[in-house]
Amino acid sequence: MAPAPSLPIHPPNGPVNGDASKQPPQGRSSQKSMTKAERRELQEKQRAAKAAAKAGGPVNGAPSKQAAKPTPQATAAATPKRPTKSNEAPAPTASALRTQTAARARAASVSVPTPANARGLRIFSHFGLPKPVSVAKGDIHPTILRLALQFSEFKITGANARCIATLSAFKTVIQDYATPPNNTLSRHLMTYLSPQISHLVAARPMSVTMGNAIRQLKLEISGSDIDLPEQDAKDALCQKIDNYIRDRIIIADQVIEETAGNKIKDGDVILTYARSSVVQKVLLGAHAEGRQFSVIVVDSRPMLEGKRLLSVLASAGIQCTYILLPALGAIITEVTLVLVGAHSIHSNGAVYSRAGTALVAMMAKLHSVPVVVCCETYKYSETVQLDSFTKNELAPQGDLFSSFPSVKARDSLTLENDEHLEILNPLYDLTPPNCITAVVTEVGVIPPNSIGSIPVALGRLL
Amino acid sequence: MASEASSSKGEFDIYQTYRKILDDEEMSPPLAAILSLSQLMVESNAGTMFELVKELHDGAEELKRHTTNPISLNAGCELFIAFVTLFPHESDSFAELKTELVKQGQKYAKEAISYRNKIAELMLDFIKDDSVILTHSYSRVVMRALLHAHKTKRISVYVTEARPRGLGVKTHEVLTAVGIPCTVVLDSAVAYVMDKVDFVLVGSEAVVESGGLINAVGSNQMAIIAKAAHKPFYALAESYKFHRLFPLSQYDLPTHNPSILSFPSLPPRPFVTPPTTSGVSPPIAKSGIDESLNVTPTSSSERSMSAEMTAKNPDVDYTRPDLISLVFSDVGILTPEAISQYLVAMFAG
Repeated sequence: MAPAPSLPIHPPNGPVNGDASKQPPQGRSSQKSMTKAERRELQEKQRAAKAAAKAGGPVNGAPSKQAAKPTPQATAAATPKRPTKSNEAPAPTASALRTQTAARARAASVSVPTPANARGLRIFSHFGLPKPVSVAKGDIHPTILRLALQFSEFKITGANARCIATLSAFKTVIQDYATPPNNTLSRHLMTYLSPQISHLVAARPMSVTMGNAIRQLKLEISGSDIDLPEQDAKDALCQKIDNYIRDRIIIADQVIEETAGNKIKDGDVILTYARSSVVQKVLLGAHAEGRQFSVIVVDSRPMLEGKRLLSVLASAGIQCTYILLPALGAIITEVTLVLVGAHSIHSNGAVYSRAGTALVAMMAKLHSVPVVVCCETYKYSETVQLDSFTKNELAPQGDLFSSFPSVKARDSLTLENDEHLEILNPLYDLTPPNCITAVVTEVGVIPPNSIGSIPVALGRLL
Repeated sequence: MASEASSSKGEFDIYQTYRKILDDEEMSPPLAAILSLSQLMVESNAGTMFELVKELHDGAEELKRHTTNPISLNAGCELFIAFVTLFPHESDSFAELKTELVKQGQKYAKEAISYRNKIAELMLDFIKDDSVILTHSYSRVVMRALLHAHKTKRISVYVTEARPRGLGVKTHEVLTAVGIPCTVVLDSAVAYVMDKVDFVLVGSEAVVESGGLINAVGSNQMAIIAKAAHKPFYALAESYKFHRLFPLSQYDLPTHNPSILSFPSLPPRPFVTPPTTSGVSPPIAKSGIDESLNVTPTSSSERSMSAEMTAKNPDVDYTRPDLISLVFSDVGILTPEAISQYLVAMFAG
């Protein structure tokens, strides 16, 4: 096989030289003498050979969470795409290398409807694609099954809502639980709960609030008195769960409502983004106290959660304006205060919240508008997060959120992945601490750089 | 009405007590407030803790009503009331507890006078020989620090005039009398002089939860210019000036009211009818506007603001924490972020 002349363009039918079986033994030296495009062609041929060997269809049904390793299924699905790609005129060599690494890092699930989706994404591929809830492993309680389904279909959204739903489901699970003989509740219950929790996580990655709550629950379970009769122990646990919800969420929200409400003055124009349950409470509370202010609700696709907030505020009689995120620059000069919620806050003061919040905060900072984050202390995470890439979640494809008006045919409006286009919908982003003016928690108003003092303040209260 | 009530309660007028204590030059408003509240406890007939705390709150309100700038006063009152509420109750009788609290209050006030010396000592290491220091208006703690440094080092000081009260001139007198070279600088010349300065040193009315500073108006300006010129900006504050307030902006301060920086309401301009076909337009009544403003043209080369113009200006401003390098206090040298941690630790019990 003679190396072809070093031209980046290859003829439509692929390089004339050699066939797949002969290439591997040639080794590195001949590879080096080829141009990048030809090396790529070589890889594609190798992949085609592998796929041909494994031909027989993709793996079906098994809901294995595939870690990031080269999966034959992925390449099988990918192969039909390769020849079409190679037909393109000089493909940039950078993308060739990227395709290679992407193929390796792909965690594609093949049970997704169309083969086109199984190709996976170039960036954010480390999050994994959202998977439909599959056959459960082991003995999953029906309440958990229902909850997982609700999570995966985004019927329950929001950090607080998910946590409360999870804890309520666990209360049912605990009540239905019976300790097997020769076992203690405090030891066995945890092992019983683990697959339930994994099932929920498989449906949708766990939120920080759920994580903190479950950790607290496990602590309570392990501290449960061995001598208590089973029903008493279960009742005590359920009581602890109720107390957690009451103290860390409900009452905390009331304190935040009052504290943040005091920052709202007559004549203020308050801007909020998407829908935060806490901010909704703050605004309704301040309005009930008789303060005169108006609200601008900023919203964005695909979730368009702001619409729900808008309807609640408008029916309470608050003067509201509704805009989409791109229009932010036009109205920011009118705004006097920005109030946003959070999914979680981190010990370096960064706030992890709905995608788009960082834009709002940065824009506000530039125009010297104070940004106030309303956040309960149970959303505090000891980790340090520096950017939106290391940890995030992708929204599933398709028009799950029904964010287009129903008068138009859905198919014509939502974009689907095709060979030339990938849709990426990260659900969260990170607001850096220097864009935030203050964080209102139930232990007080704290500047973002001192978030580390929350455990100190909590330690005294608990 | 409240003063009548307190005077009928045994003729204890907290505001008079407060003013008398403030006659002492060295006393600052928060300390005077603490002492007045201790005195109120002595005179009080309260039988339970709840009653006592309520009386203290009423006394604090009374004091606040009489002052135009209650921020530092507020800090002292809240500190004392928090201290009283959180004090461990070992004694059995309430009267004993009260006496103990009063004793603690007076002891604290006495100790607190020495805080300025502690701060001056901490500041000493940051002042090098031949330092040129810029300061603002008149602050007792800054004076103490400068005089202390003067004993062992050579320093020269620029001080701003700090209009409208002009307290910078007082600083100039005190420093010159001791032999420190001092020059008064116009408030508008701070940017001009900043490159000649080694660091900026200011006192404080209060240090707030965000780590920011509330001080005489002009401090914020100085901090911004110092940051632009890469000069350190140091604030000196005794720990009783730390306040749980969290202003989100200048206009979120409790001292801010709608009349500050408001525009005058001018009489509506008389409606000008469009020019008639003959081309003659009716005269606009310009003179009426002048009269309503009461502008009296001065013939001298230097003009100054009238009293009502000055009244529209703020007394204090808020300096953001990212502009402050360090806060020197009797509890140590703190970064602005550490202020919140200290406040949380102190007030969370």
